Amino acid sequence: MKTTEANGINFRITAVAVLFALLFLGIAVKVIYLQVFCGEWLSRKAVGQIEKTLTTCGKRGMIYDTRLREMAVSVDTTSVAAYPRQIHDTDETASALSGILQMPPDPLRLKLISRRSFVWIRRQVPPKEEKAVRELKLAGIDFIPDTGRYYPNSTRAGQLIGFTGIDGRGLEGLEFYYNEQLRGKAYQFTVLKDALGKKFEAENEYHAARSSGNNLVLTIDRTIQYIAENALSETLASFSARSGMAIVMDPKTGAILALANGPLFNPNSYRQFTRECWRNRAITDPFEPGSTMKVFSAAAAIESGGCTPNTIFFCENGKYRIGDDVVHDTHPYGWLSLQKIIKHSSNIGAIKMGEMVGPEVLYRTLRDFGFGQKTGIDCPGETPGNLLPFEKWSKIDAGAISFGHGISVSALQLITALSAIANRGVLMKPYVVRAITDPGGGLVRSFGPCKVRQVVSEKTADTVKKMMVSVVQSGGTGVRAALDGYSVCGKTGTSQKLNEKGEYAGDAYIASFMGIVPVENPRVAILVVIDEPRKDHYGGTVAGPAFRKIARETLNYMNVPPQNSTERLTAFLKTRSSVETIRAYPAP
Amino acid sequence: MRRTESRMVTGGYDIRGIVTWVVLMSLFVTQLLVYTWCRVQCVQVGYEISKEADDYQNLMAVQNTLKIELERLKSPDRISKIAHYQLGLVTPVPTQKKTIVVHEND
Repeated sequence: MKTTEANGINFRITAVAVLFALLFLGIAVKVIYLQVFCGEWLSRKAVGQIEKTLTTCGKRGMIYDTRLREMAVSVDTTSVAAYPRQIHDTDETASALSGILQMPPDPLRLKLISRRSFVWIRRQVPPKEEKAVRELKLAGIDFIPDTGRYYPNSTRAGQLIGFTGIDGRGLEGLEFYYNEQLRGKAYQFTVLKDALGKKFEAENEYHAARSSGNNLVLTIDRTIQYIAENALSETLASFSARSGMAIVMDPKTGAILALANGPLFNPNSYRQFTRECWRNRAITDPFEPGSTMKVFSAAAAIESGGCTPNTIFFCENGKYRIGDDVVHDTHPYGWLSLQKIIKHSSNIGAIKMGEMVGPEVLYRTLRDFGFGQKTGIDCPGETPGNLLPFEKWSKIDAGAISFGHGISVSALQLITALSAIANRGVLMKPYVVRAITDPGGGLVRSFGPCKVRQVVSEKTADTVKKMMVSVVQSGGTGVRAALDGYSVCGKTGTSQKLNEKGEYAGDAYIASFMGIVPVENPRVAILVVIDEPRKDHYGGTVAGPAFRKIARETLNYMNVPPQNSTERLTAFLKTRSSVETIRAYPAP
Repeated sequence: MRRTESRMVTGGYDIRGIVTWVVLMSLFVTQLLVYTWCRVQCVQVGYEISKEADDYQNLMAVQNTLKIELERLKSPDRISKIAHYQLGLVTPVPTQKKTIVVHEND
């Protein structure tokens, strides 16, 4: 190779090397410029394209009955939405959607031509309709995952549990009262998307599980609730009554085992019911209790020391004038003992008893039983009822209050006061929620029995209970509430309703019966109140049989053995598991 | 001269230098390939996690539906109707009940 030729080759090599060096230098400069000077801005831009931060709410907590059976659950649903700007044919889309979603086409069309970038078409559509809309593959129509509220037991405790709105906020009942506990917490999560828009590395589930709302565990037993609602519905139908209430309470703890309101109401479709049906009447509605109040007047009389069950009063042969007013009894009675006054439900006897006790003692005793003030139950809209201070009582007020007129109470107050009689004179605070648990089932807070006060002595409570036994015995007003195999004590109540003018209506009554079973060791206190029964209006006839049905089936369900049964089978067991076997398979 | 002697020179090429460069480049390229493989695997696992999470969500939804269905089937209304109308059962009267007294042997 010649020197000149070698030099030429070297020159070309050098030239190419320099060219490549310059190119690489250019690239390096650009890289440095992008990385160092534009790095932060480019990173933000890239993150904006692949990452999306969404804010959502955790699932609403569940509501369980006392045996942890679901009463209210949150379910995953889908809502149909639209992006109006992306819709090609508004008319066609509107008519297609209106057919499937059963919505009027004109309002739907207005939504689809909206200037907004996003509109809801319909929230929480059923799966069948969702599938049908999906199959249409309409442009600009989207399906947004949503959470709905579902009540598996439909009407069971509908008014007590309440319901939530479309946005998941509690609107009525316990759903409203415990909304802060039940609602899911808001949380943010990041969705990563690739170039094709596919999401990956979802961290949503982790947050979703931790952001769910707390659960409620009620004192309500689903089965007892069913028993109460069933008996109440049958009674309302039998007597063509306007409405009714039934409460079953554990007198020793104040726990409400069932709280039924009629007509029944299904929170799954609350819009199909009137607002009147939503109300938890047993807690919100005051009414004149009528003769059921005589039990508490009698308790006041005995507690004051001026009376015993055998103290006799002259019942004026059925007609008694107080000032300008005349009080009647359903039957003319002469001399009656206090026990007979309760048994035959003599109004005049109750007035005489009230007169003997005096307004102040009567007022204080009724007040101690919880009348005229809220019980403090964990439900919204509780009424305090109405019990005027004794200083404001007229002569007729003092007499009328003795037999349950001129005073208004709620069904809850009445059953709570009765429970105090059953519970040796101790008034317990009623409650419907026994625990709040976190999403994992761990205990957040528990609620137990809460003693309010000793209203009357144990002896007085026992005496009143014994007097109430006569009500369901032959000749008493509540014979239809008597129960085979179990001792029952109770009291009937019949009161006239007030009309718009504030006068007693001649054709509108409230019939009620309240009772305790078994008498010796009370397991349940039951109250049945029927508003405006048509065919009959006496508490013993209208509400008594409903009480009996509820009591019989509830005791059966609670495995309370009949008291008069002398037959016993004895089993000897070796292991604890055998006990469970015997409980599960009772003898035929 | 000593340095020149210590170098392995073949046909004017510095063999040791070339080997060093080849090793360094191989290491560099291998590192790049491993890094790229890791990133691809990471994205792939991300997709799999997403898919599994979706499956989990779907299964949870199914389980929830089944739970609700179970509650519906166990509801007292339904059982009462079946007991009453299909099986002809009634609430037992006290005479139809027997109390079993259980004694446990230790």
